Amino acid sequence: MCGIVGYIGERQAGPILLNCLSRLEYRGYDSCGIAVAGGALQVYKDAVRVQALKERLPRRIEGKMGIGHTRWATHGEPSQVNAHPHGDCTGKIMVAHNGVLHNYQQLRQQLIKEGHKFVSETDTEVIPHLIEKYFAGDLEAAVTRALGEVKGSYAIAVLTDSVPELIAARKDSPLIIGVGDGENFIASDVPAVLDYTSRVIYLEDGDIAVVTREGVRVRSGGKAVARKSHQVTWSVEDAQKGGYEHFMLKEIHEQPKVIRDTIGAYLSAEETLAERDVLGKGDAGEILMLACGTSYHAALVGKYIMEQLFQIPVRAELASEFGFLGQSSARSQAIVITQSGETADALKAIKRLKSEGCPVTVIVNVVGSTATRLADQVLYIHAGPEISVAATKSYTAQLMALYWMALLSDRIDLRRKGSLITELRQLPGRVQQVLDDEESIAKQAAQIARYDHVFFIGRGINYPVALEGALKLTEISYIHAEGYAAGELKHGPFALLSRQAPVIAIVAPDDSYDAMLTNIKEVRARGSPVLALVTEGDEAIEEVADSVIAVPRVDPLFSPVLNTVVLQLLAYYAAKERGCPIDFPRNLAKSVTVE
Amino acid sequence: MKQAVILAAGEGQRLRPFTVNRPKVMLFIAGKPILQYVIEALAQNGIRDIVLVVGYHKEQVLDYFGSGEPFGVALTYVTQQKQLGTAHALAQAKEAIKDDFLVLPGDNLIDADTIDRFAAVAPGAVLVKKVDNPRRYGVVTLQRGNVQQIMEKPEEVASNLVSTGIYAFNRAIFDFVEPQLGLPDVVNRMLGQGHKIKALETVGAWLDAVYPWDILNLNAAILQRTRARSGGTIETGVEIKGPVSIGKGTVIRSNSYIAGPVVIGEGCEIGPSVCIFPATSIGNNTVMAPFTEIKNSAIGSDVSVGSGSIIHDSVIDNGCHIDGRFAACSGQAEIAVNHEHHLVSFGAMLGEGCRLGSSVVAQPGVIVGNYSQVRSLKLISGCLPDRSLVV
Repeated sequence: MCGIVGYIGERQAGPILLNCLSRLEYRGYDSCGIAVAGGALQVYKDAVRVQALKERLPRRIEGKMGIGHTRWATHGEPSQVNAHPHGDCTGKIMVAHNGVLHNYQQLRQQLIKEGHKFVSETDTEVIPHLIEKYFAGDLEAAVTRALGEVKGSYAIAVLTDSVPELIAARKDSPLIIGVGDGENFIASDVPAVLDYTSRVIYLEDGDIAVVTREGVRVRSGGKAVARKSHQVTWSVEDAQKGGYEHFMLKEIHEQPKVIRDTIGAYLSAEETLAERDVLGKGDAGEILMLACGTSYHAALVGKYIMEQLFQIPVRAELASEFGFLGQSSARSQAIVITQSGETADALKAIKRLKSEGCPVTVIVNVVGSTATRLADQVLYIHAGPEISVAATKSYTAQLMALYWMALLSDRIDLRRKGSLITELRQLPGRVQQVLDDEESIAKQAAQIARYDHVFFIGRGINYPVALEGALKLTEISYIHAEGYAAGELKHGPFALLSRQAPVIAIVAPDDSYDAMLTNIKEVRARGSPVLALVTEGDEAIEEVADSVIAVPRVDPLFSPVLNTVVLQLLAYYAAKERGCPIDFPRNLAKSVTVE
Repeated sequence: MKQAVILAAGEGQRLRPFTVNRPKVMLFIAGKPILQYVIEALAQNGIRDIVLVVGYHKEQVLDYFGSGEPFGVALTYVTQQKQLGTAHALAQAKEAIKDDFLVLPGDNLIDADTIDRFAAVAPGAVLVKKVDNPRRYGVVTLQRGNVQQIMEKPEEVASNLVSTGIYAFNRAIFDFVEPQLGLPDVVNRMLGQGHKIKALETVGAWLDAVYPWDILNLNAAILQRTRARSGGTIETGVEIKGPVSIGKGTVIRSNSYIAGPVVIGEGCEIGPSVCIFPATSIGNNTVMAPFTEIKNSAIGSDVSVGSGSIIHDSVIDNGCHIDGRFAACSGQAEIAVNHEHHLVSFGAMLGEGCRLGSSVVAQPGVIVGNYSQVRSLKLISGCLPDRSLVV
């Protein structure tokens, strides 16, 4: 999915295009670019987010018309040369395109034979060259002829330096025209233009529109057609959030699908992946995992998964601390986890590992990001763009990647592999079951929201879940929350327990169960209210805890997935109860690109 | 007509257990929710600006349809907090409606042909259809092509022409909408004040599910249109006959036999040696272990069926885990739903997330509530509530 925009009017186009693009970042943000015509045609593009591009632009770009594009690569590398807009040989015709062209190979070869010079690897680039081929002063006619030759889906915006008009056209990809006073807009989706106008025209498949300062002319199949403009009554965020109040809740709800997509992608690639078993063959070495923030919590879960399945030492370290550790890197393999692939500390750690000769595998969401270029091997998670600052679905997908790595390894006990894969495949349904229980979780959250200090405790594989639960609650609800290994509570934090400091206990039916039961009793004896996450049908805990949230029964190895989803919802509803700006918490940014 | 309002807030209470966690519009028929057929019918007729009135378990609708983009439409959501009737539902959409619009129930399965002439009709019209059992619906009486009256579920029927619940209106309708009413009452009120409502008859598909076992009839009817397509891997020795659609990433293992119409979703693992017979649909990420036979059934997503199972005329909802040798054969049974008795013929209906031990035998006509657990070697029958434990 990509987003395109266009502007023609009385104002400077540059800042307007960038603002429109930033409204389309929910459609993707691995690279972006704009082209502005005022006298000469100027193009600025790179494999960065809109804000970063804005910072590198000259203070003033002359030009009152232009086009722009923001991209989410699903294959191929995001790079400056592949970023849109794309131009023809002369650099006088620029095109931004959303869609996929099926016959671009033939067209490209044909055009090269005719003497056209291509610079990128994209399918899009054939469009400006085709337009160039047919352009003789009438841009609309040239675009019409060019589009007659391409097969596939497209929404495009076309700009030249010689004619004061933009051309917009669509087939099987969305495109709208924003109608202003003395200015007009082109965009993939309504939110892009809502800062400037609320009147829009929805283009139909096959429409080719000539957009000038004064108006819009639309043709379909060569004949002029009338397309009525509509008044948009909803606010900017409605459309992007697909009916949800916040991105975070939307993304929490996407998790069953993300898990299914991630497992599906891995399963269908099983044979090819098996050849490059990322954990190395039989020789027992040591695995080192590095990450920051929520990804570090995924790494900690990964440590428990792999130590349990392989009985080999696994170290999980904070990437931001790795530079200060004296000991050298792992003997066999390092795994670095970063959602964006741009986290500064993670990148620095990869460089050090590489220089020490340690093979590095990265688990990453953003295709082609810096981390993927530095690492020896890349395992992509299939989470899609994540907008909410608080990571939810990317964390779950990271866990899927770790489970998958472990299950695929030669070191796994084959007798256990089959049943674990069957359980893994059933996880989407179990997560959905947790989501269906949302209302009762929201009720518990309303209770938690009344407190200013909350402790999370867990043991074993659910100890990192306690850390993640505390982090989620802290970052979006501003409640002071701390996660502890349950046994550590009495080494200090016990002093803070009181009726005003509830404890959330994460209990799984594994070898930590009895110890957790004891811990809960100890906490209750100090007067702290206890909310326990338990497996359905667990009556022993129900008797000692003040309240419980029951999660579906799964193999304890997978319990972190379900428990985390519960804690995400708990954090979300606590923050909502407290009226916090959930998607954009104060002082926080989505990816931390400074040390 | 460029805009449509789809009423998608209803619960479908008689369809439990399948509507405990989802609205009726999200019942899956041949691999797609009913609502998707309505949206596709509109899109194929050029209506892409769609307002969805959601309510009961609206997240299921939001999660599946999102902004509408993958379906080629632009969706706006409005919420009906309490399901107080169709006119009340429509009233929620008032702000989002521009001028002329269609209103459609999201829980009747239609196709593009159903509304092809109606999509361009002038406001003040209702789409009607001849049916065999008009007493279940709003019976329409006509006078020279115009509606005289709509009678909801009458004792005595004057014609077999019923309202499909699909209307063409303009914003003037809101002068007549009173929240406590159903849309047929609103229409009768307009007629009473001298307004004309035209009736257009359709011969296209218009299917309705009222009880859980209706899902099998709808499934079979829609599967008739299956076109052969394979996006997956088919191992050697697999025999495929008739129209069979196989989704991306699905693997059909050796010696399996599949006779269409059959639809299998994405990322499934079927076989080796599994037999699938006509009118069967299977969701995404579902596993069928060796030597299982399945016929005329609707299987959901994330389901795992153990070895040597026999599943006939059954519905198995998402996330069920069934150990080997499960037997669900068809036969007649008497069932009570809301104190109404029905003589039906089907195998088993399993709600979401059920876990069955090995060698469970289902008596014909068993309905198992969501998240139920059945131990090995048990015989199950009758209607089991949600979260039942059979030990």
